Amino acid sequence: MNPQFTLDLPLVFMVLMGLAVLLYVVLDGYDLGVGMLMPAADAREQDFMVASIGPFWDANETWLVLGIGILLVAFPAAHGVVLGALYLPVAAMLIGLMLRGAAFEFRIKAEGWHRELWNWLFWFGSFLTSFAQGLMLGRYITGFETGFVYYAFALVTGAALCGGYVLLGATWLVLKTEGELQKKALAWARWGLLWVALGVALVSLATPLVSETVRAKWFDFPRTAALMLLPLATAAAWLLVWHATGRLRRRTGAPEWVPFAGAVAIFVLAFAGLAYSLFPYVVMDRLTIWQAASHPSALKMVLIGVAIVLPFLVAYTAFAYYVFRGKARAGLYD
Amino acid sequence: MDTSDVLLLARAQFGLNIGFHILFPSLTIALAWILLYFRVQYARSNDAAWLATYKLWTKVFALSFAMGVVTGITMSFQFGTNWPGYMQAVGNVAGPLLAYEVLFAFFLEGTFLGVMLFGMNRVPPWVHVFATAMVALGTTLSSFWILALNSWMQTPAGHTLDGGMIIAGDWWQVIFNPSFPFRLTHMLLASGLTASFVIAGLSAWRLLRASDDVSARRTLRTGLVLAAVLAPLQIFVGDLHGLNTLEHQPAKIAAIEAIWKTGRGVPLVLFAVPNDEQQRNDFAVEIPQLASVILKHDPDAELKGIDAFAPDVPPVAPVFFAFRVMVGMGVLMLILAWAGAWVTRRGAPPPRWLLWTCAGFTFSGWIATLAGWLVSEIGRQPWLVTGVLKTADAVGRVSGAELGASLTGYVVTYALMLLAYMVVLTHLAGKGAHA
Repeated sequence: MNPQFTLDLPLVFMVLMGLAVLLYVVLDGYDLGVGMLMPAADAREQDFMVASIGPFWDANETWLVLGIGILLVAFPAAHGVVLGALYLPVAAMLIGLMLRGAAFEFRIKAEGWHRELWNWLFWFGSFLTSFAQGLMLGRYITGFETGFVYYAFALVTGAALCGGYVLLGATWLVLKTEGELQKKALAWARWGLLWVALGVALVSLATPLVSETVRAKWFDFPRTAALMLLPLATAAAWLLVWHATGRLRRRTGAPEWVPFAGAVAIFVLAFAGLAYSLFPYVVMDRLTIWQAASHPSALKMVLIGVAIVLPFLVAYTAFAYYVFRGKARAGLYD
Repeated sequence: MDTSDVLLLARAQFGLNIGFHILFPSLTIALAWILLYFRVQYARSNDAAWLATYKLWTKVFALSFAMGVVTGITMSFQFGTNWPGYMQAVGNVAGPLLAYEVLFAFFLEGTFLGVMLFGMNRVPPWVHVFATAMVALGTTLSSFWILALNSWMQTPAGHTLDGGMIIAGDWWQVIFNPSFPFRLTHMLLASGLTASFVIAGLSAWRLLRASDDVSARRTLRTGLVLAAVLAPLQIFVGDLHGLNTLEHQPAKIAAIEAIWKTGRGVPLVLFAVPNDEQQRNDFAVEIPQLASVILKHDPDAELKGIDAFAPDVPPVAPVFFAFRVMVGMGVLMLILAWAGAWVTRRGAPPPRWLLWTCAGFTFSGWIATLAGWLVSEIGRQPWLVTGVLKTADAVGRVSGAELGASLTGYVVTYALMLLAYMVVLTHLAGKGAHA
């Protein structure tokens, strides 16, 4: 073997983990967002909303297991630190995920006030999950520092992520529904968009203030000039969604997929910014990916598995989205 | 808070979660294959009754599968939150096995489940049959990888040291470790029995209300016949598994049989109250020399007792009782399955006593599975990975208050979910199958 060529395995796994987390946030994000929007719709619309995410939510949540799995497998030292520090929000998120997963199945089979109860639990579980994830994000990027400012910051990221998921959920509904519900979804999307603007702005301003590491990385001329492309591109994506939802509302013709694609773009860009802030740390200011990485024998074994599975995974995921293309139909099991 | 209390809370929480989780996969692994059977029957016959049967049991499957998924996600996090020392010590071996389960099984079943549940009218029939088969394959692959890991923790093999770190030297030996083939077969058969009795039990429940339901008669028969075939197989495989345990984890066998002192011609303890403090059996009913006969096929053979392994021994009483619950349940299930298969032969209408008994035995597989799981997992204490890592060395430094608060949250959530699950299942079964 060529001695010049050695794969930087921790780096490869950091990219894989980032990809899994990004895919999770976007994919489960839209179905969590739909869950949070449930109370804003009437009973008939709720059935369509649930039908729009029914075939996908299970596979979507699998990306979370893969993301946490890679953290566990590739960076075991970080896994213990991160999950130990996030013990309570993780427990809250898990309870939220369980409630909404169970509620999803139960509400279809229930009638009367039982269905109302499961609808409520579906909303509550979606909200609890989203908020807990935002909280975890806020704690994570500040390196789990304790103190009022840091906790307040985590509350802000919690709320911001809820807004982001609502935006994803609403734009997903724009794509998958029609008529009155689609009109409502367009209005929700615009509310979500305002919320996201506020959230992204607050988090972007607050992160360099609470973290010296992040400040040093972003305010380093002339690199800063190139980095400003990220916020600019985010603003452009934001405007695109705002414009497209406006045109769709006025029925002046715009493709229905544009708002969702724009919302995804906002998430990808925000994620890129966060990834840049963190790299090369897997635990902020404490552990780099190379310090936390597990033994090469384990990493190689997993990489082989990933290489085998990835083509199939892409193929059958594409197949599932192809099968359920177009508008959602009510009556899930028919 | 005392560290031993934290250990106990951490174990209680993880045990509660994994014990709650195991209920659902133990049903869905086999139910997925039974659904494939229903689906293929419909594809071949175009008989609406098969379609109705398939649809009803798909609903039961979807519900159980969702419960399995959400409780499983919880587990993947609790490895880190409750047992950080576990991944640090053996993560290089355990991690890839868990990753393979996610990669090879979870995505497969998760993605095709959508097509299976909601895609019947959107794809050609053969694609739908294929999707159902992929879900079944996914659930079985999932059990393959998780049991490879569990078996490796029970009977580690193929690992080696690299500068003080435990790594896999030979992955083939890690996966196909000594107890793996037995444990996997034992678990798959347990799943088959659990699913058979759930199907027979819920069908019986339906027939008690509507005795002429064609679909329910058919599925009652399916469940009983399948159980009648699997139950004796399970007893045979369970015995092999026991002999394998005797070879690799003799302390567990000593606890199962409540043998305190090493000796020759050891009696079989039929019943007793093992006294862990005094290291003896109270109220013992024994058959002389039978334990030596069963385990070594020689009435005078020496069997090692708890004293041979002290102080690294499991608590005897819970292992002893759980084993007897498992075996007792297994024997009752065998009797019911054979009796039921016999009286319903050649399309004979099932008598009411059979229907009531089957309905009562709906969740008997769960009881046997949980009992067997307790034998296996308590029986390997104090080890988390036999001879490599002790449970006490893997526990995290989470505070007792955090553990207590989250434990309360989990208990409330699980109780709510289990109650709803049972109510919905009996409700679904009561309404019966409709095309």
